Amino acid sequence: MDCKQAVSLMHDLLDDDLDRECAKELKAHMLECPACRERFRQLEEADRLLYGFNHRLQPTSDDLTDRIMSVIPKPRQQSALLVWVKRHPAITVAAVFVLVMMTSALSMWNADKQLMVKGAHLDGVVIENNKVIVPSDKVVAGDLTIHNGMAEVYGQVQGDVTVIDGKVFQASTANISGSVHQIDEALGWIWYQITNLFGSGPSLP
Amino acid sequence: MDTLEKRLVRLARKGDTRAFAEIVELYKDKIFHLAYRMLSNRHEAEDVVQDTFLRVYRNLDRYDDNQKFSTWIYRIGTNLCIDRLRKRKPSYSLDAEMTEQEGIDGYAMIPSDDRTPESYLIVSETQRMVHEAINSLPAKYKTVMILRYLQDMSLQEISDVLDMPVTTIKTRVHRGREFLRKKLERKI
Repeated sequence: MDCKQAVSLMHDLLDDDLDRECAKELKAHMLECPACRERFRQLEEADRLLYGFNHRLQPTSDDLTDRIMSVIPKPRQQSALLVWVKRHPAITVAAVFVLVMMTSALSMWNADKQLMVKGAHLDGVVIENNKVIVPSDKVVAGDLTIHNGMAEVYGQVQGDVTVIDGKVFQASTANISGSVHQIDEALGWIWYQITNLFGSGPSLP
Repeated sequence: MDTLEKRLVRLARKGDTRAFAEIVELYKDKIFHLAYRMLSNRHEAEDVVQDTFLRVYRNLDRYDDNQKFSTWIYRIGTNLCIDRLRKRKPSYSLDAEMTEQEGIDGYAMIPSDDRTPESYLIVSETQRMVHEAINSLPAKYKTVMILRYLQDMSLQEISDVLDMPVTTIKTRVHRGREFLRKKLERKI
């Protein structure tokens, strides 16, 4: 082993990075080379001085933490609602869905404010303002459905009479072969929609 | 071992400033001492500490949980110190210094506040020499030596902080040690 190699191994030894075999070789070299012994003594001493220097540490200013905390940007204040929404995405989606459905159903309900008359044969029917009149000498062949209006039946209806959000007046001369329904409330209206959807004629529970 | 810091980081990310203040408490002294040894100037060192935490705060989202927090914050602090040293003086080669023996020392050009409180803290002549010897190291060796001896890091940790291969760190420690041995020759 030459001295240059030995110096390199000395550094490895000081870095705790030398295996036993190499350490033995280094020791053998140093035993017969006074220059390397001196070199190693110096390096070890420098090492010791550097580690010793570690203890001369100065304290930081007392207000350093406060100074640091005053320069960091303030976090954006998130509203409680936003935080909640972020934490419960599924419930939020469900709530939004229900809200949309409710508003659309409500708007459908509210939009139906004008008079609407439905029936297969409405030739003989007289409409005055929001009153639907079946005159005594007329015959309505089939069902008669009225939204948002009064029905006054003097003549003959060969089917059901359904009045939503309104009233039915039957004169003594009236002849309705089917049944008569009056639907006034939202719930009833929904029931009517559902039963209508399934084909069979409207029948209230 | 690093879990406390990671938990604090998670809280700080959500905007918990108290958690961030705890991170500051945990690391301000360490970063200050690193910066103070690097720059030999109390005022500048505290500036570096402040800049380090500001940068940590701004980049909390980019901190990778797989990495040790200490490695990350030391990297930020070290880079800020190196930037300051670079702005301060022209770089020169350690090899040139070593071959010319007692040439012009780098530390002669470095402003330092030796005559302020440090002057009575460095009581012994030996302490003063060590201080000056470290100061006279070129930045790239100085960084490695300070992390190795004054922050007690292993070669592997230094390599992680500086993002350099361990072999490079090893070479720098060896050269830095030789440099300091020559500087301190009279004392040892």
